[in-house]
Amino acid sequence: MLADFNFRIIFEYMPLFLNGLKSTFLISIISIILALMTGIVACSCRISGIKIIKYPAIAYIEIMRSTPLLVQIYFLYFGLPTLGLRIPEIQTGILALMLNSGAYIAEIIRAGISSVDEGQIEAGVASGLNYVQRMRFIILPQALGVTVPPLLGQAIVLVKDSALLSLISVAELTRSGQTMTSERLMPAEAFFTVAFFYICIYLCLKTFSDWSQKKLIYREAY
Amino acid sequence: MIQFKNVNKWFGKLHVLNDINLEIKKGEVLVVCGPSGSGKSTLIRCINRLEKIQEGEIIVNKNPVHKRSSNLTKLRAQIGFVFQQFHLYPHMTSLQNIMLAPVNVKNIPKSNAEKIAIEKLEQVGLSDKSDSYPAQLSGGQQQRVAIARGLAMSPEIMLFDEPTSALDPEMIGEVLDVMVNLASEGMTMCVVTHEMGFAKKVADRVLFMDEGKIIETGKPDEFFDNPKTERAADFISKILTH
Amino acid sequence: MMAFYFQRLVEIFPFFLLGLWMTVKVAFISLFNCTILGFVLGIFRAGKNKFISRIIGVYVSLIRGTPFVVQIFIIFFILPEWGIQLEAFPAALLAMAIMGSAFICEIVAGGINSIPKGQWEAAVSSGLSLFQQLRFVVVPQAMKVILPPLVGQYVLLIKDTSVVSVIGVMELTRVGWITVVRIPEGLMVFSLVGVLYFVISYPLILLSNYLERRMA
Repeated sequence: MLADFNFRIIFEYMPLFLNGLKSTFLISIISIILALMTGIVACSCRISGIKIIKYPAIAYIEIMRSTPLLVQIYFLYFGLPTLGLRIPEIQTGILALMLNSGAYIAEIIRAGISSVDEGQIEAGVASGLNYVQRMRFIILPQALGVTVPPLLGQAIVLVKDSALLSLISVAELTRSGQTMTSERLMPAEAFFTVAFFYICIYLCLKTFSDWSQKKLIYREAY
Repeated sequence: MIQFKNVNKWFGKLHVLNDINLEIKKGEVLVVCGPSGSGKSTLIRCINRLEKIQEGEIIVNKNPVHKRSSNLTKLRAQIGFVFQQFHLYPHMTSLQNIMLAPVNVKNIPKSNAEKIAIEKLEQVGLSDKSDSYPAQLSGGQQQRVAIARGLAMSPEIMLFDEPTSALDPEMIGEVLDVMVNLASEGMTMCVVTHEMGFAKKVADRVLFMDEGKIIETGKPDEFFDNPKTERAADFISKILTH
Repeated sequence: MMAFYFQRLVEIFPFFLLGLWMTVKVAFISLFNCTILGFVLGIFRAGKNKFISRIIGVYVSLIRGTPFVVQIFIIFFILPEWGIQLEAFPAALLAMAIMGSAFICEIVAGGINSIPKGQWEAAVSSGLSLFQQLRFVVVPQAMKVILPPLVGQYVLLIKDTSVVSVIGVMELTRVGWITVVRIPEGLMVFSLVGVLYFVISYPLILLSNYLERRMA
């Protein structure tokens, strides 16, 4: 069944795929940076102990985590125009990815912070460091190491999630597969090529993530 | 220098400090002992307000510690604290551990702070370990760095919370030596420990606690050889059988 | 206008309940399939046979490395080319089983690998068969490590069922998508869809948080 796999057509469509790949790259990088910032803000609010910012942060995180990304995408795609906001699909998509991953990242950072031993905080308190100084010099540097592997894991998830933007006709990698399928009726060639590119991105990120994890264990064990 | 007046503290229903009255004078070395759960660690943790008290007053150097308004940062800068589990910052070298508070709390310029840190490392006999990370040091060495970290703020009082309990036996001596030297230099010290030898050598007074109360105080020789209360006698016989 | 659309939305609410029922059906059948398949694969993945373990490893990487929506397209559009005709519903179940089992496989293998060697040796020494070693000694202990991320994975799988809407399975998201064409109030329609998902997945999130705290 793979005998009549048509490589020629894949090469013919290569510019389309590479364009899609480029979009997927750009969308992912922009989204992950925005999500990181969102996550840091949401996490800070959540652990702040100030009720008027803590509870909205909790609500945001829990809503994002308990509804499907696709529904969030449609919510923005069909919802923003009814509010009079007409923005390009790609920006809607990035907004959805940012909000969705931001919530997961907030939880990753929170877990990192709470993994720092209570005694470390006490030692900081005992030597007279204030809250900001304890965060900056003691807690965050230690939490950072723990959060790197799960953050890379979230980056992997985000790259794959960006495939859903094809459903609101953003011209990214998966969309290029759909385009080729509809033009040439060759879904096998189209989607195996798409899958191949995703796996390449995945393997790069995975290698990086495994390496960071090993690095981390090494540092702890010394 | 340190005064406890009718201090009471509860953890939920547990009465951990029961009407404590105590005065520690400048230059005095006080050893606190007692069975686990007797409130001895809580007692010294209250002095720099790692724990809050619910009733009574604690006054350190004329500053009321129990009041919300008290300037804690200033107060804590005068008090060095050494933990049972060291709590060195694992991502910093010995030198960085020691310099962190002087630079950021007292705003001492980095070059000066480094000088102080090197001096303190020398004082605890570890001048060759300034660039080592905690994970590269033995338990005894880590605790000595922790003591140096406390000393770097030039405190008037040093508090020790079971500083040798987490150490292997062969490392206890090196830590106690540092503490003995400190005592002989006239530092005001409050030490929670069961090290009888240390107590006999340098303590001016031993305080025995049980169930949140001070049961007995006395000169170390008196206390260990002729305890006045039955509970103290019982406790001493137990630590002696080890 | 909004009040009018809200009225319409209330009228067609039963349609949403049908979608919810379909989502629940796809989700729970899939959780069942994925769990069974995931445990079998996970046990072999953690097993001594390096060859089988590697093959499963490659399978897991292929699945984890590609978006679920691409996997669905492959199953739904390509199998017919090879002469395997599938309706949308079984195709959705197949895609879910393939995807979910890969994730659960890694969780299970991780749990089994966390059991110290001494436990296996003790079980071997008391003469238990391989199946008995797993059944009585290893898996019960590994469950402590497996359970919290497993429940977390269930939440993700339930949410992933929304993606099967793309091949026309009439579940919640698909219902929302069809509705929004007639009732152009995107915020209203998809808020309703979101609330219905929330109702099924939030209890599981709470359970997962609870397990994480208890097993820690």
